[in-house]
Amino acid sequence: MTNDVLTGGGQGARTSRARYSSWIGKVARSPFYRGTIGLLAENRVARLVVLLAVPLAWIAFFNIGPILQMGNISLLANYPLMDGDEPVYTLAQYALFFQESLYFVPFLRSLVFSLVVTAATLVVVYPVAYYIGKVIRPASRNKALLLLLTPFWAGEIIRVFSVIMLLANRGAVNALLRELGMIDRPIPMLYTYFSLSFGVVYLIALYMLLPLYSSIEKIPNSLLDAAADLGAGPLQRFRRVILPLSRDGIVSGCSLVFLTSIGVFAAPLLLGGPNTVIFPEIIAQLFHGSNDKWPAGAAFSIIMLLISLTTVGLFMRVVGGRNVKLM
Amino acid sequence: MTLRNPTRRTTLKMMGTSAGLIAAPSIIRPAYAQDNVLNITTYDKFLPEGFVEQFEKDTGIEVRIRLTDDQGKQYNLLAAEGADPTTDIVTVAGHRLSQFMASDLLQPIDPARISTWDNLAGPYKGAPQLVRKGEVYGVPLLAGFEGMVRNTDYTKPSDSWGLMFDPEYKGFTTYIISDFVSITMKYLGYDGDFVAYVDKPEEAQAAVNAARDFLIEHKDMVRKFYDGGAEVQQMLVNEDVYVAQTWSGPAAKLIMDGFPIELSIPKEGTYGFLYSFNLVNHAPNVDAAYKFFSALLANPEVGAAMTRQSGFASAFSGVDKLLTDRERAAIALPEEQIARIQFFAEENRDMKNEMIDRAVAEIKAA
Repeated sequence: MTNDVLTGGGQGARTSRARYSSWIGKVARSPFYRGTIGLLAENRVARLVVLLAVPLAWIAFFNIGPILQMGNISLLANYPLMDGDEPVYTLAQYALFFQESLYFVPFLRSLVFSLVVTAATLVVVYPVAYYIGKVIRPASRNKALLLLLTPFWAGEIIRVFSVIMLLANRGAVNALLRELGMIDRPIPMLYTYFSLSFGVVYLIALYMLLPLYSSIEKIPNSLLDAAADLGAGPLQRFRRVILPLSRDGIVSGCSLVFLTSIGVFAAPLLLGGPNTVIFPEIIAQLFHGSNDKWPAGAAFSIIMLLISLTTVGLFMRVVGGRNVKLM
Repeated sequence: MTLRNPTRRTTLKMMGTSAGLIAAPSIIRPAYAQDNVLNITTYDKFLPEGFVEQFEKDTGIEVRIRLTDDQGKQYNLLAAEGADPTTDIVTVAGHRLSQFMASDLLQPIDPARISTWDNLAGPYKGAPQLVRKGEVYGVPLLAGFEGMVRNTDYTKPSDSWGLMFDPEYKGFTTYIISDFVSITMKYLGYDGDFVAYVDKPEEAQAAVNAARDFLIEHKDMVRKFYDGGAEVQQMLVNEDVYVAQTWSGPAAKLIMDGFPIELSIPKEGTYGFLYSFNLVNHAPNVDAAYKFFSALLANPEVGAAMTRQSGFASAFSGVDKLLTDRERAAIALPEEQIARIQFFAEENRDMKNEMIDRAVAEIKAA
């Protein structure tokens, strides 16, 4: 594309615009249009601004905006404000979190649960990612990935219910064990930490699989061959070559899984039991309770957000080093 | 073309897209007053689909239904929307009316504008739960109560809430904590509806604490704290639980479907509630709402369909005749059990909600 055409100043451009007699031609010949397009054509920064305006506005309004609003509500003494009420700002809701073990204990439980789920997901998914990235033929990799991704096309709730159908007293696992004569009475697997962890790992495995596969697949086979030639056994090759070179994938996967699992809400509600109540449930209770406690719910959400991001930030810095990226 | 060096064509496309996105809010149909729209917030399985379709066909009014499963959620949403509600009709339980009214969220209805008002069953026409200062604040729909359900294949008969704490069924019981705290208070001999505790916060707190501690002590009995009717139905069907505290509706629905459970009101008593459709304050489509109310009460078959779907007893007259024997049996209980129902009162709701919400959180965290 020549600069002549870009600036709209060429003979060709002028004659092609003159050919249009409809409204589009009028618009094209108008001074405003010519001025605007001319400015954009001449100025790369202006073009970048136009291109980025929509995504940035989207992020500001739909991602950052709600968080700022949540922050604002968390500082109010009462919300929703009734007509005529003046907003009163206070830090009492934040103090409440640290004063009451009632809220602090489920938060710690959530934190530990998310760390355990993250570790479990890594342990479960790493061999799968390695198998797809390195063991099977390159031609079959996309098929294998597609096979693994298929369940994720279904909604989260549907997948949670599939876990319920699997682990319920009259579910598939108990039915199979009974048919095999291994049990007389069903094993209560549902509504326990096991069912909750199993469900959450299943729900968010994808966030671990893709970054891991991506990093493992990039490891040159020549390095593994060289390590083998130098006498490294399978375990040593894994520890000294594969693991360090897949570090970026591990950091990205763990960060995504941790952030997702700490905020997961539907699965604990449907798969958890009386002793597996985690923090998002407590927050929901505050929002949905009989006497509205939006400010407390908002404050606890902000606290959870900040501590989650800090945990992930520290993890990325310590394990991943300076240059690690999430995706 | 790259992002850093876009062509003129790309720039124009992006500008067009931007303009479209910026204009979108005015293009997307807003939820404000429109003669041919009615927004209803209600529970799942309350409104028969066939009736809604027929109403839309007859009146040209489009009915938009938003589902709720909790009075608190409904209250919070309305309170947040303030003077610009996005719903015209909500489904409030009688004992929660005072909370909605204290926040100025509802407006009285004019029975004279509902041509079929007389089709309500006698006891419900002037139901005290819906009358405030001589004004009516809702169209009664369905009546229900907190009942005890047991799987008849795996449990022994019992006339007491004590079955919920029988070690034989350890790990096989379930309840909604916020509801069951009240029932446990009743079971332990306290007033679970807090009417006796007006201006007596210490006494109330002691009663709540006793129920809370009792439930924490027996937490190992519980398979799961559930939240909604569909969830407890699923647990009973899957045989994950044998004994449960449930609303009468979901339990009756299972009985209608032939599932081997028994619904009863134990001797210690229970609480009842009346659901109604209520007109939201500043509702944008009031006329459409009155047309809807008139159509709703016009045919007892609608009430029968609501009972079949939800399992709750209908407030419309003539419904009983339309139900089958099995359906009637599912919602009918012996008279001495019916006499044990105490309808939730309105007094002292704030104290009750505050203390029970806290107890719920403490039981969960224990």
